[in-house]
This record gives sequence, structure tokens and C-alpha cells, in this order.
Amino acid sequence: MKSKILFIYICLPLSLAVVFVFSLISGSSDISFIEVFKSLFSDGISDNALIIKSIRLPRIIMAMTVGAGLAVSGCIFQAVLKNPLAEPFTLGISGGASFGAAIAFVFGLASNLFVLPLFAFSGSLLAVFIVYILSMKKRFDSNSMLLSGVIISYVFSSAVMLLFAISDASRMQAAFMWMIGNFSSFDERLLPMVALINISGVIILCLIANIINVISMGSDKSKSLGLNVNAAIKIVFIIASFIAAASASACGVIGFVGLMSPHIMRRFVGANHIYLIPSSALFGAIFLPFCDTISRIIAAPVILPVGVITNMAGGVFFITLLLKGRNNA
Amino acid sequence: MLEIKNLYGGYGDTDILKDINISIKKGSFCGLIGRNGAGKSALLKTICSLLKPSKGEIFIDGQNTAALSKIDLAKKIAFMPQTLEPSFDFTVKEFLTFARFPYMGIFKIPSKKDDEAIDKILDFMDLKNFAQKSINELSGGERQKVSIAQIIAQDADILIFDEPTAHLDIGAQYAILQILKDLNENLCKTIIASLHDLNSAGEFCKELILLDDGQIKKHGSAEEVLNYQDIEEAYQTRVIVKTNPISNKPYVIPVIIP
Repeated sequence: MKSKILFIYICLPLSLAVVFVFSLISGSSDISFIEVFKSLFSDGISDNALIIKSIRLPRIIMAMTVGAGLAVSGCIFQAVLKNPLAEPFTLGISGGASFGAAIAFVFGLASNLFVLPLFAFSGSLLAVFIVYILSMKKRFDSNSMLLSGVIISYVFSSAVMLLFAISDASRMQAAFMWMIGNFSSFDERLLPMVALINISGVIILCLIANIINVISMGSDKSKSLGLNVNAAIKIVFIIASFIAAASASACGVIGFVGLMSPHIMRRFVGANHIYLIPSSALFGAIFLPFCDTISRIIAAPVILPVGVITNMAGGVFFITLLLKGRNNA
Repeated sequence: MLEIKNLYGGYGDTDILKDINISIKKGSFCGLIGRNGAGKSALLKTICSLLKPSKGEIFIDGQNTAALSKIDLAKKIAFMPQTLEPSFDFTVKEFLTFARFPYMGIFKIPSKKDDEAIDKILDFMDLKNFAQKSINELSGGERQKVSIAQIIAQDADILIFDEPTAHLDIGAQYAILQILKDLNENLCKTIIASLHDLNSAGEFCKELILLDDGQIKKHGSAEEVLNYQDIEEAYQTRVIVKTNPISNKPYVIPVIIP
């Protein structure tokens, strides 16, 4: 059991390094492996160095931090709500981001690459706030939280439809591309902010993993073990929401990473969040840049939105899971 | 010593429990009986501070529980809910380790001492072979046993069980009650358990409390509490009470009057 966990913890960082290098050398401009490293460590301003340092590298780092962030926030929502279907999407956070972004696009504010994330971020926090208020009366019962999340998602998605219906087609196209989720157009100044929120959030959640274990046992049990459950849930929920909101604001709504990463990792390292949270983070940080690189090269020179790739991978994954589950039964 | 004084309380705004006054001595094995909805769970949860009383006080060894911190209270009193909430696939050992939560440091990382304590309990409860099994793969009886092991791991003096024998066959019921008896007699734990089976309550408990409509109807030995008048009133069922020829404890059988 322990050796299996150790094995996973050796494999994950190795895969992370492999994906990092793979993503750096793949792309529409053909740059060799050696040239990539030369330009990475030189001060030169050759074309290659420019592509590597100011286009590919920030994009990969963004994809890694967002992947880790989404995976961990999904993991936390599943634990706190004691529901395997919980993720930023089912809690309305992604819906809120879409709504905020749609407003920015429709009112022509999206051309400023800094305003758009701000709107998306505010949209997601608005969604979290509404879910929070709605479920406060029910003492953060997991069903009512999930239900209010789904309701908020529907309300926001119809609001988005309404905005689209009254706006002109050119803006719709850009907004639509954003909503599928992609790493093609984020403002570079966003990277440090998103990285700060996601990395510090992930580290905090890794450190309090055992508190999350106790939360996941249900409120009677965790209360009788001396945990201040309501306060703990609030704090954990807010951290996870901030991570999800920061991720969505930078690169749109990327589905399935938050839902799938903890599910896959649970099969390898078990349910204990002390192992699950860091491994999910690593998995997300591997999976998302990998999908992003695939999206860049699969139909090159056309760059597909990464959300399409993750959603397809996720769909295939869940169908396999379903069929496999049936065989076992 | 557990003392409850003028306690009122319940789940919402309306009080289910009305003017409860009990004192339970250290080392007692107390059975809580009464109809469904009589307030058994509410009383147990209020004792554990899972529900806030609307009036009244609870003292453990003379200390008011309302004045204790959550962590300190968790070291004095442990609670086993009626059912284990469906949860992730934790292994039995991980599941037991969570009970050491009140003793862990700021980051709540289990120490070597916690690990040793858990190993001892796995031995004591004969659960060694289950240590790496998922809690979701266990049978009803095994689950209940693991739940009890978790309560022991919390290392409190007062152990509270909400219907520990619900949904179990008679063999498993008696096995569970025997464990509670061992905890009471060998580890000197004070045990309070709500029970539906009056006969096993009479056999195993040192004292019984009969709860009726949120009030204490009777508190005393099995012989005192299990009399047909009180039982018939509390359960609104005709019964006869006989004496078990082997243990000399009373037993109750419902009867249908033709």
C-alpha cells in the first residue's frame, strides 16, 4: 500500500518534467530540443528565444498552475460536500465566470485583456456568494449547496444566452471561444497573480489535509472530534472558490479537470486527503499542459481551445469508468 | 460523573426535551430507552454538544461543558452516530486515525504515538486483518465494530452510542453489546447507549432511563424500569414482563389482545 503511494509520487513529478519539456519543444514553429534549452538559458533575443520564453513558457506555467488549482478545488469540493460530482462547474463558479466574461464581451470591454479576467473573477465570486447565502440557512448541508450551485449555473447560463441574443455576432464568437476555455489569449500580467493565488491556496489545502479528512466524515462526527466544523468548512470553501475563480478568470471554463483528477488519483493513492490533494494537484499540473499542447499541435496551425480536448478526454474517461464499474458489479 | 440539570432543547425552535435532570455515575453502563421520537437521539446529541440546549446545563466531573473548548470536550466525551455516513474509501486504519484528531498538533498530522494507539485498538478489537480494507467494503456488523473502534481511539472517558445495534442480526447485536460491556468493565469507560431492544438493554445495562415524550419517565435498575405499567404507557403497546430464568433479569414481550 505505502509502496504504491511512493511509486505514484515518483511517477508524477517525472511525468510533470516530461510534459514540461514536451510542451516546450512542440509547436507550429519547429524548434529542436537543444535549441529550446539554449534559448531558455541564454540572454539572446533570437526569434526562437522569444517564442520559447515569452510565448510557450508562460503558457505552460499558466496551464500547470491552473491545472493544479482546478484539480485541488474539485478535490476539496468533493470532500466538503461529500459528493463525487462536486466541482467548480456544479457549484456555479464556472457559470458565474462565464456570466462575468459575457458581460465584458457584450459591452465591448473585453479588448482590454485585464478587464475581462476581472469581470470573470467577480462573476465567479458572485456565484459563490449566492450559493453561500442560499445554503447558509440549511447550515451548509451538502445537498442544498449542490442544488443551489446547479440552480445558479442554470440562471447564469440563461443570462449568458440572453446577452448573446441581444449582442452582435462578432463579439459572440470571441466570447464563445473564451467560454470553452483556452490559453491562447491571457494577459501575461495575470500569470503572477493566478500563480500566487493557486500555488498558495494549494499549499494551504495540502497542509490542512487531515482537517479535510475529518470534515468529509460528516458534521456530527467531525463536531464530536472537536473540530469547529462550520468555520473550517467556510475557510476551506473560500480558499477552493478563490482558486477556481482565479483559474476561470485567466483561461475561461475548462471542464473535467476538477472533476476527473481527484477521481483518478483516488484509485491510485486512496481516499486519504493527505496523499490525495498533492497527487491531484500534480495530476492536474500534468494533464492540463499536456492537453493544451495537444490542442496546439493536433490541427496545427489552427489552435483548438483546450476545453474541447479536456472535455473529450473527460467524456471518454467517464464512459470507461462506467463500463468498468458495470463489469465489477 | 455526568450531571444534567433542567435541560430543555431539541433540533429547531421547539423543545423536544423538557426539564431533563439526570446524574450518571462514572463507570456506569446506562441504557436509554423509549419510543421512536421520544427524544433519545436529541438527548444524546445535546449531551455531546452537537445540539445546543435552549435551557439548562451539563456538567462533566463538575465542569460545565458549555465552558469547555471543543477540543477539550472531545477528549472527555465521544459520540457514535446511528449510522456511518457514506464516505470515501478510507481504509479502516485511516478511519481510526481520524479519531486522534483532538490530540494532533496544529497541522493535524498523526504522530507515532497516534499510530501505536491505533495498532493497539486494532488488536483489542480483533480488527488487525481489516486494517487496510476499505470501510465501504465491510458488512453491517463489521462497520459497527470499526465505528466502535474509532470511538475507543478517541480516548474519552464517556462514550455515547446512538442505537449501536440498529439493523443488526441478534448475533451481531449481542457481539456489539458484549464489546460495550467489556469497555465498561475492563477499561472503566462510562457508557450511555440508546437501545430499541428492551431485553438486551435489561441484560447488559447497569441502569436504564425510560424517556417518554421528551421527559424522563423512569430512571433506575432494569427491574425498576422494565415494569409493564411504565412500558405500556411509554410505548403504547400491551406487554407482559417475565423474568429470564438464567440471568434473573426482566424481559418484555408485546402481546396482542384478541
